[in-house]
Amino acid sequence: MSVAWQFYISTVLIYLGVDVIACWGLNLQFGVAGLVNFAYIVFQAAGAYTAAVLTLGPAKPAKLGGFQTYVGGASWPFPLPILAAGLVGGLLAAVVGGFAIRRLRSDYEAMVMLVVSLIATSVATNQVGLVNGPNGLALVPKPLETMLSLSPVGYQWMFVAITAAACVCVYWLVHIVTSSPLGRTLRAVRDNEQAAAALGKNVTGLRMLAFVLGGVIAGVSGAILVEFISAWSPGSWLYPETFVYFTAVIVGGSGNNFGVMVGALLVPVAFLEATRFLPQFGPPGLIDALQWILVGVLALVFLWFWPRGVIPERRRRFPSAARSDQKRSLIPTRTGR
Amino acid sequence: MNTLVPAIGFGIVTASILAVAGVGFTLQFGVTNILNLAYGDIMTAAAFIAYLVTSAGISVWLALVAGAAFGAVFSVLLNRAIYTPFVRHGTRLFGMIIVTIAVSLIVQNGLLAIFGANFFSLQMARPSSVHVGGMVFTSVQLAIIAIAIAVMLLVHLLLRYTKLGKAMRATATDPELARNCGIATDRVIDLAWAISGTLCGLAGVILVMNVTAFTDTTGSQFLIPIVAVAVLGGIGQPYGAMLGAVVIGIASELAAAVISPDYKDVVAFVILVIVLLARPQGILSEIATRKEVAA
Repeated sequence: MSVAWQFYISTVLIYLGVDVIACWGLNLQFGVAGLVNFAYIVFQAAGAYTAAVLTLGPAKPAKLGGFQTYVGGASWPFPLPILAAGLVGGLLAAVVGGFAIRRLRSDYEAMVMLVVSLIATSVATNQVGLVNGPNGLALVPKPLETMLSLSPVGYQWMFVAITAAACVCVYWLVHIVTSSPLGRTLRAVRDNEQAAAALGKNVTGLRMLAFVLGGVIAGVSGAILVEFISAWSPGSWLYPETFVYFTAVIVGGSGNNFGVMVGALLVPVAFLEATRFLPQFGPPGLIDALQWILVGVLALVFLWFWPRGVIPERRRRFPSAARSDQKRSLIPTRTGR
Repeated sequence: MNTLVPAIGFGIVTASILAVAGVGFTLQFGVTNILNLAYGDIMTAAAFIAYLVTSAGISVWLALVAGAAFGAVFSVLLNRAIYTPFVRHGTRLFGMIIVTIAVSLIVQNGLLAIFGANFFSLQMARPSSVHVGGMVFTSVQLAIIAIAIAVMLLVHLLLRYTKLGKAMRATATDPELARNCGIATDRVIDLAWAISGTLCGLAGVILVMNVTAFTDTTGSQFLIPIVAVAVLGGIGQPYGAMLGAVVIGIASELAAAVISPDYKDVVAFVILVIVLLARPQGILSEIATRKEVAA
């Protein structure tokens, strides 16, 4: 395999890993807990930004050759910025969830989340001191690059390995959550909030938990992305990006971790990468616009024909079974929270 | 003082645009229970229709009519062709939100594909300026205020004194019961989309009459204050939206004058958050509270 192809394939694999992690986080919020978080990309961006500033080191003043301003620069060793990114994603989710999830109907919630996303972009762009305005951050050092003396291609594959390891960790986390009694209770809240509340479940607390966990995972995915591409700008984290993840979750099969992984492979990676090989046509920006239209159409087509996705959520049955499927996740169990 | 009085003037203009847009948004949501996140993009589309009309050398007032008509027709068709079929198909609340946002992306990028990523402005005669107290308005801005007042009066008359208004309020409160009472709810819903679409189209055109340039994202950016207005007034409450528009319009222009123009939307957002924390049902919404208790 030529070096160029190795570069391309390893890059696509890293993007795939980031998208898979992000989709698992969104699936935890949307597929499992039924939270419509249209600001998902903001948590990913916050994680990415955290990782970037914790790797960049303190901001240099302009006269010493510094060209970007940001808050809280530090140069932490490799895995720490990514962990910190998860922490920041989770904290931000706790703050946003504090006002958006508490008492809102899911459609209000979606609307507020959309507004959060739009506002976050406008603040990040206008408040130059915070995240260097519309220019964003650049030249984020790549993790371990100076320590390991690898060839560029070798480094690429090393990064693929890091991403894969992160995927395994996150999968372990989402698997534990979704297959435990906690996951069952979250699905109960999603399917019938009143009934879950009537059984004594703390509905708001459970939704908050899913929201914060999703925020942590989003932060981690953003951190990996930024460590790889070593640049960050507010313009690449706009709300339509969230919609791509939603489409991936729906196409793959919301509520099913494996299905969501397939969705991440099909939508952000295969669907958006494929256009790279098309000949350029029309004025600049036309292909992007058509791509967005196609993503929108894809979401509509799937919601109409296959609303449960390519690999639907497993129907769960229990030995002491309730008669109707609708009530399937509401059976109280001794191990349930 | 020198900056505050003109800011209130701008605030009144912004409030007028917001009132038209907010009432349309909330009215449709109240009657049909579909949260149409493509609303801002339909506004942009109407603005582009107006742009085409004015570019053909036709007066901006006819462009306004064309924009409103486009909004009405597009909204009714959108509901008939996409939203209602999805609801009948069994798409639930989450699904419908995804559907409306998919439509929003399709419309916005459709406009981008057709018109390209440029700045556009409506062709109109240079407006003269008028001094009222310490405030300066252009003649166009005065017209916008007049249009908003006229629209609010018409909406008020429609809701209070016509059979259609009564039927709309009945459908908003309980569609099943309304149907059982012999109200043709399908027709009421069509009309609600038509009225909301008219307001949406009007709002889109007066929005771009008031700015120097617009792009394919102008309308979706404006969705922030619209949502704030609708939530502040209590969703589905046209009178609440009118009040919300005045509050948010003036507050955001004052903030623009005192702090920085970049923070207009942030103020709307802060008000939104405060309302959500303190009174999620909105400031003027006894009906919504009662509904909550009954459900």
